[in-house]
Amino acid sequence: MQKRGEEREFGKRGQITLFVIIAIIIVAIVILIYMFYPKIATMIGITPKSPQVSIQDCMEDELGKIVEQLSLQGGSLNSSNYYAYEGNKLEYLCYTEEFYKQCVMQQPMLKQHIEGEISGAIREKSKECFGKMKSDYERAGYDVNLQQKNMTVELLPKRIIINFNYPLTLTKGASKRYDHIDVILKNNLYEMVIIATSILNWEARYGDAETTAYMNYYPELKVEKKKQTDGTTVYILTERDTKNKFQFASRSMAWPAGL
Amino acid sequence: MRNKKDGILSKIKVEQITNRKIMLAILIMAISILTSISLISSVSLSYCCEKTTDGAWCQNTQLEKCNPAFSKAPTSCDATSYCKMGCCLDMKGENAEGTCMENTPQKVCENSEGVWADNAKCEVPQCSLGCCLMSEQAAFVTQSRCKRLSSLYGLETNFRIDIADEVSCIVSARADVRGACVFEKEFEKTCKMTTQKECQDMGALLTSNSSSAVKFYEGFLCSAESLGTNCGPSEKTTCVEGKDEVYFLDTCGNLANIYDASKIKDKNYWREIIQKSDSCGAGSGNENSATCGSCDYFLGSTCKKYKAGEDKVKPNYGDNICRDLSCKWKGKTYSHGETWCEGEGTSKITPESVPENGAEGAVLGNPKADNLPGTRYFRLVCYDGEVTLEPCADFRQEICIQDELNGFKAAACRVNRWQDCLAQDDELDCGNTDKRDCKWIALKGSIAGIDAEEACIPKYAPGLDFYTIVGSTAAVAPQPFQGTQAQQSVQANAPAQMVQGQGSAESICGTANVQCIVEYEKGLTGGEKCKKNCECETDVWKNKMNNLCSFLGDCGVGMNYKGIAGSLGGVEVKIEKGVDEGE
Repeated sequence: MQKRGEEREFGKRGQITLFVIIAIIIVAIVILIYMFYPKIATMIGITPKSPQVSIQDCMEDELGKIVEQLSLQGGSLNSSNYYAYEGNKLEYLCYTEEFYKQCVMQQPMLKQHIEGEISGAIREKSKECFGKMKSDYERAGYDVNLQQKNMTVELLPKRIIINFNYPLTLTKGASKRYDHIDVILKNNLYEMVIIATSILNWEARYGDAETTAYMNYYPELKVEKKKQTDGTTVYILTERDTKNKFQFASRSMAWPAGL
Repeated sequence: MRNKKDGILSKIKVEQITNRKIMLAILIMAISILTSISLISSVSLSYCCEKTTDGAWCQNTQLEKCNPAFSKAPTSCDATSYCKMGCCLDMKGENAEGTCMENTPQKVCENSEGVWADNAKCEVPQCSLGCCLMSEQAAFVTQSRCKRLSSLYGLETNFRIDIADEVSCIVSARADVRGACVFEKEFEKTCKMTTQKECQDMGALLTSNSSSAVKFYEGFLCSAESLGTNCGPSEKTTCVEGKDEVYFLDTCGNLANIYDASKIKDKNYWREIIQKSDSCGAGSGNENSATCGSCDYFLGSTCKKYKAGEDKVKPNYGDNICRDLSCKWKGKTYSHGETWCEGEGTSKITPESVPENGAEGAVLGNPKADNLPGTRYFRLVCYDGEVTLEPCADFRQEICIQDELNGFKAAACRVNRWQDCLAQDDELDCGNTDKRDCKWIALKGSIAGIDAEEACIPKYAPGLDFYTIVGSTAAVAPQPFQGTQAQQSVQANAPAQMVQGQGSAESICGTANVQCIVEYEKGLTGGEKCKKNCECETDVWKNKMNNLCSFLGDCGVGMNYKGIAGSLGGVEVKIEKGVDEGE
C-alpha cells in the first residue's frame, strides 16, 4: 500500500514538473514572439515587407534583365538602325552609309537615352509591383494612400537608381509616410556609357579608336574592337570582374573592296 | 609591247599588256568609266535624307531610302540646313554630364535635349579641356564635366585650365596627406588610417558625443608602437580598389605598408608610411613574388587573390599576390600591354613577307601563301593575361604594322595605300613610302625575254570584290587579241569569274593581262622549231604571270584563306594560231 502511495506521489510530482516545463516553454515562445513579432509576421506573411524592400524585391530581377538587354544592344531595346552581331541587334550610335566618310552621331545624349529606355521598359512592371504592395498592405489591415506622381531613372557611378516619387501613407492605428521609394541596381553601366561616348567622338573625328588607351586608364575594363566586312566596327566593353558588357556599333571611314 | 617582225616563217604572238603604257591606258580608262558610273549614280541617286527608313539620321543615300515623314533634298547633307553638323553639348540642367559630342545634326541634338553649337569638331569654349583634380584622381575634361564628377563623388570642384595636357594633369593628382587618426573607443585607445580632413571630421563628431580627444599623426601608421593604440602588426594582406599593390593590414584592419615578407617583424616598417619607390622591388612588376607585393599594372602585374592553378607561387604571408598579367600565344609569351601582328589561317600576311627589293626572279611575298582572298590582317592585344584579336579592315584595306623596342612589341592597323600603285611610272614615285605602299618590280627578262619593262605594284595585295555576280559584262573589256601574223597566241587573262565582278576586281586584275608572241621557224624538211619566246609555252612562265596577277589583288589562280585552291582556274591561257608570215 505504502509502495502504491509512493508511486502516486511520484506521478503527481512528474505531472507538476511536466506542467512547469510546458508553462516555461509557452512563456518563452510568447516572449520570443513579442520580441521578434515584426520579423516573424513578415516571414509568415501577416505583415507585408517594408514598401522599400517590397518594391526592390519585386523589380530587381526585371530591371536587371532590361539593363542587360540594353547593354548588349547599344542602349536601345528596339532600334531600327542596327548591326546584327552574335544574336544581338547592336544599335549604330554613330553611322554613315557612305565609304570614306566620318560617321554622323546618332545618339549624342546616350546616357539620357538609356535612362529613357529603362524608364519606358519598367513602367508596366512598376505598376504591377506597386499594385501588389498596396494589396498586401490592405490585406494586412492597413489603410493605404498611394499617389503615383512621377518616376525618374538615373545612371550613376556603380549604380542605377529608379526614383519613384510616389508619396505613400500607411495607416493602421498610427500613420507612416514615405515620400519616395528608390530601387537600386548595382551596375557599372554609367562608367561604360561615358567611355562609349569618348570612343564615339574618336569614331566621328578619325573613323577609329584606340582600345589600349582605354584599357590603360581603366584596368578593370576590357575594350574590344571588331571590324566587320561591311565597314561596321563593333565595340565591346567588358567589366573584367563581373563580365558585364556594353556593346555597340559604329560605321565610320569604311573602305569598300578594291577601289 | 613592241612586236618584232623579222621574217620568221611562223610566229606565236606574245602580247604583254602589262607593258606600262598600255597598263596606264587601261587604268585611266577603267578609272574614267568607274568615275563616270559613280558620278552618274551619285547625280541620279544621292539625296540627303534627314532620316532614313532604317532610322539613321542625316544620310546621303538613294531617294527610296528616305523616310517620307522627314525632309529630303537631292543634294549632299553638307549643303542642307536640316542636317547641318555641329557639336552637341550635354550641359543643360543640374545632372548634365558635361560631355561634347562631335558631328551631330542640330535636330538630333535638340530632340535629345542637348545644346547644339555650330562647330562639328566641338571647338567651342564650353568644350575646351582642363584638368579636374579630385583627391587622388585627375581627369582631363571640360569644366562642366569636372563639376559633375566632383558632385558625384562629393568633392569640391578643382578645375585647372593652366594644366594643358592629359599627362601633366594625371601627374598633378596628389594623394591627400594620410596618417594615423587616434581616438578612444569603449575605453580603449584605437586608431584609423585616414586623411587629415576625415580625422578632423571624426573628431568633431566624437567630441560632441564624448570627451575623448582625437589626434592625427601625419605619415604614421596605426601600428606604430609609439602611438600606444590597440592596433599592431599582422600577417594579413589585402588588395585595394584602384591600386595595384598588395598591402599589409594591421590588427585593427587598417592599411599598412606594401607587403614585404622580409619586414613582417620590422617595427620600423610598421611605424611610418613608406612610399612605393622606397619599397621592395621598386621599378619592377614583382609578378609571382612570394615575398614582395609592390605590383605595377604598367609593368605587368596587379594585386589579386592567390589562386593555386593560376599563380606560380604562394605568398609567404597572406592570401594576395602580384598576379602576372603576361599572355601565352602559340607557345610564345607576350608582356601585358604588348600588341603584335598576325595573319589568319594558312596565310602569313605580315609585312616581313615582302622582300625589300623586287629584283628579277625574287619571290615578292608568296602569292600562294600571302594575302590570299578572304584573308585580312589582325592585331593581337595582350592585356590582363588575355589575348584579344582586333581585325584590321577587311579586304586588306588596312595592314598591320609592328615595331619593337627593347623586346616590347607594338602594332597597329593602318590604311593600305595601294590604290595608285599602278599609275606610277617612276621607281622613285613608286617607292615613296610617305605616300603609298607600292613595290617596283623589274619584269625585263623575266617574261620570256620580251622587252617588258618595270611595273609598280601594291606591296600588300588588296582584296577585291570578285564575287558579286551582277550578270553584266565587265566595265573594261579584256584586251582583244592582237597581231595579224600570229599563228598561235598564249594569252594569260584575268580569271573568268571576274567578268561577273561588280567591284573593281576586273579592271585591276585586267591590267595583268599578258600576251606573248612565240615565233616558230618551219624546217626545210617540214616541221616547226621554236625560235623566240619559247618560254611562254612553259608552265614556269604561266606561273610567273599568275604570280604577277596575284600581286595586284585577288587576281589569278589563288587559294582561299583556308589554303584551298580556287576551282575556276583563275588564269586562262589561250593559245591562238597566228598568221604564217611566209604565206
